[in-house]
Amino acid sequence: MGRNVRLENLTKRFGTLNAVDHVNLEIEEGEFICFLGPSGCGKTTVLRMITGFETVTEGKVIFDGKVINDLIPQKREFGIVFQSYALFPNMTVEENIAFGLKVRKMPQKVIAERVDQMLDLIGLRDWRKLYPPQLSGGQQQRVALVRALAPNPQVLLLDEPLSALDAKIRVRLRAEVKRLQQELKKTMIYVTHDQEEALSIADRVVVMEKGRFQQVGKPIDIYKCPTSSFVADFVGTSNFFEGDRIDNRVKAAAWEFKIAPSAPCLSRKVSLAIRPEKTEVFRPGEVPRDVEPSNLIPGKIEVVTFLGAAVRLVVRMGEEEVISDVIEKEFEQRQLKQGEEIFLYFPPEAFLVYPAEEGRG
Amino acid sequence: MIVSDRWLTGVTTVFLLACLTFFMLYPVYDICKLSFFRDGLFTLRNYAGYFTNPRIFRSLTNSLYVSIVTMIITTVVAFFFAYGLTRTTIRGKGMFYMISTFPLIAPSIIQGLALILLFGRNGLITRYLLHTNWNIYGATGIIAAECLYCFPNALFILYTTLSAVDTRLDEAAQSLGASALKTFYKVTLPSAKYGIASAAVLVFNLTITDFGVPVVIGGNYNVLATEIYQQVIGMQRFDLGATISVILLIPSVGAFLLNYYLTRKSYSLISGQARPFLQPSRPFKKWAFTLYCWVPCLFILIVFLTVFLGSFVKVWPYDFSLTFRHYDFPSLGGYAPVWTPFWESVLKGGWKDILAYKYGPIWNSLWVSMIVAIAGASLTLLAGYIIEKKKPIGDQVLYTLSVLPAAIPGTVMGLGYILAFNKPYFLIYGTFWIIIINIIICNFTLGVLSSIANLKQIDKSMEEAAVSLGANPIVTFTRVVFPLTKTAFFSNMAFFFMRAMTTISAVIFLVSARVKLAAIEIIFLDIDGRTASANAMCTIIIVLVVGMLVVMRLVTGKTGLKGMSTST
Repeated sequence: MGRNVRLENLTKRFGTLNAVDHVNLEIEEGEFICFLGPSGCGKTTVLRMITGFETVTEGKVIFDGKVINDLIPQKREFGIVFQSYALFPNMTVEENIAFGLKVRKMPQKVIAERVDQMLDLIGLRDWRKLYPPQLSGGQQQRVALVRALAPNPQVLLLDEPLSALDAKIRVRLRAEVKRLQQELKKTMIYVTHDQEEALSIADRVVVMEKGRFQQVGKPIDIYKCPTSSFVADFVGTSNFFEGDRIDNRVKAAAWEFKIAPSAPCLSRKVSLAIRPEKTEVFRPGEVPRDVEPSNLIPGKIEVVTFLGAAVRLVVRMGEEEVISDVIEKEFEQRQLKQGEEIFLYFPPEAFLVYPAEEGRG
Repeated sequence: MIVSDRWLTGVTTVFLLACLTFFMLYPVYDICKLSFFRDGLFTLRNYAGYFTNPRIFRSLTNSLYVSIVTMIITTVVAFFFAYGLTRTTIRGKGMFYMISTFPLIAPSIIQGLALILLFGRNGLITRYLLHTNWNIYGATGIIAAECLYCFPNALFILYTTLSAVDTRLDEAAQSLGASALKTFYKVTLPSAKYGIASAAVLVFNLTITDFGVPVVIGGNYNVLATEIYQQVIGMQRFDLGATISVILLIPSVGAFLLNYYLTRKSYSLISGQARPFLQPSRPFKKWAFTLYCWVPCLFILIVFLTVFLGSFVKVWPYDFSLTFRHYDFPSLGGYAPVWTPFWESVLKGGWKDILAYKYGPIWNSLWVSMIVAIAGASLTLLAGYIIEKKKPIGDQVLYTLSVLPAAIPGTVMGLGYILAFNKPYFLIYGTFWIIIINIIICNFTLGVLSSIANLKQIDKSMEEAAVSLGANPIVTFTRVVFPLTKTAFFSNMAFFFMRAMTTISAVIFLVSARVKLAAIEIIFLDIDGRTASANAMCTIIIVLVVGMLVVMRLVTGKTGLKGMSTST
């Protein structure tokens, strides 16, 4: 066992609100873990308890086998990268990077070498004498990243580090963070509300809602096999149908869908989720013979949105609106149009089945 | 060395709380005690005495009258002035703004001196030009002088309010077909209402607590602030002085609380998306507002020019030949601890006399002001830092005590200091140190508020970044927090320096034959009938304050006055 970070029954209460509610997790040394959730779900609070800026109400934060609940932040040797960069505007790039080394009273020569090394890591050697406001947002965040790495922290914590940046730079920097992590083999704990970011960057993703861990797993498992309707909804896009299950069939609104017999959920009231890309669009007369007839529903294309590689259709089926994604090439070839009457097909094995929840829209 | 953050915060908080309790609450407590107790027994006899003596009782109605009239005039005039500066595209906004801040750099008494030179018994305009016997002494003079004195203070608030309210609201109203006048009444005015009310309340408070103006121009028209001084210093009636102080505390604390409430309200109206762009105003509007803005500015300029000129002419208004003799002050006595020996050692003859002895009060004011500037700015930054960033247990108490001094009139505080600290074992009583402490405490509010406003702009994660990189609290404060608040710190220094150079009301109780200050000497010179020398003293103070502001500007690259405007 390496220098793991372990959370045991970690809880934070603000008044009567359980911001973080008895969560447990073991983060291995060198792992890249991502906390993902909507704002207010408690992900940043978990991070701040690990950093020591937030006190722990109940439970333990354990690092390298020792409980560190009461250790002051500067003794934890954890690096932090902030959403707002938090570079010191009164210091140049290199002074910023050297700050953590200077307060440790390292020899001048060691500091200079380390700063050079850090600047090379992000390719900003020529910018060392500039002040943070003279840099672009992406450059600033790179500096913040190596400033946190310079004192060689045990763990690097990143609190929504990219959300203040433009979409394009965000994607580039995301890859850079991943590269750094793999090169340095540093444990990184990353907080974000951007599911695409979380799925693309992390070894493991922790999906949070209302202070609890909803699902912990590899990105692909989170996407393909969400264990709750919240995760299915929050990570990626899903269509939902609420209904009553009888054996392999679910009665929802005016329809009766067939589902895979192996679907694990046994409760009677269920919620069916299906990803837009799993649905299929057929023109009348083009419907193949082997489809399950009860899962073939007539509808009308109401809105067409171009997404790039795919085209998103909003299809009206009676009272419901269903989202269906079609590959752009296919959309082009078949010349689907707004206002067209079509059939939407829901393959039984594509349905994810969850116990119905009260009040979930 | 591991410095525990909590320990440091705790010690600093306790220290600040102790200072404020001992040097602010305790004197006020002593005043209340003296007014309600006689021979250890609770009594209302003092109050009965106050309300049954018609001459003394009139000071209350007089105070209320001048304060209310000043409040109305100043608020209205300053509002349209601020409107011109924020909502029209007139030229010369920077100049108008700068001229309007002049009254802050001089003792409030300057307005009184100038008005007397122009409209007094021997006034240039009344006696010399109009040959009338009418003069401005009394309520008219107090109101006119207070309007000029309060103008910049009201303007700061209204300017901030009007520039913070989203101008797109106005544009939206006009695009919906509302006329310009209707837009003004239905959109602009309501959205600035809390700012207007808050400016009005501030003017009321400044006027009712001011001592300098009524003492020189009030004549026989007695107000609360001057009545306290007369009862205490003139008649040695400490009990009556204390009683009037408590009566003065009621409207001033009331105004303070109201202002506190209004300021909170007005924040909620300020849109984060306020946009500075203005459509060009129509030519008529531009001309009208340019003309309008010149009016208060001209009055202010005339005040300063009059006093300046009055200090150089032989016999105002009869003999206008120039002279320096008013700058050779009558022997004021007093002693400047550092400077007197210094000048004695470097100078000989007449100059030695003038600089070493006659200018003693000025040197005193200068070094007192320097210490007040450094200590005041440091303490208020520290208090603001604790309140805004550290939030220890009891931070609300510290905040309340820190903003409370603004509610206590200077004269009341001055009397409180005599009552509380005039005891043989209290060694700093009768020295400059008590004056230094008094000025810092009296002006604590604005210093703390502007520190808090500035610290609010520093991202919390900035400090957390330093801490996570291993910096201890002292390194975090000195290397990260302080450099980021430097501008605010220097503008606070300028503010404290200015206040120390110009303050009169509290300090007048604490000076003595040995311990003298320049601003107080203006009053004594004026009372002695040496008006020209009073003008000269006033001019010297202004020159020193302006010099300080220029130095501050060179140090920070920003004016000392700008930084204060956000916090008033």
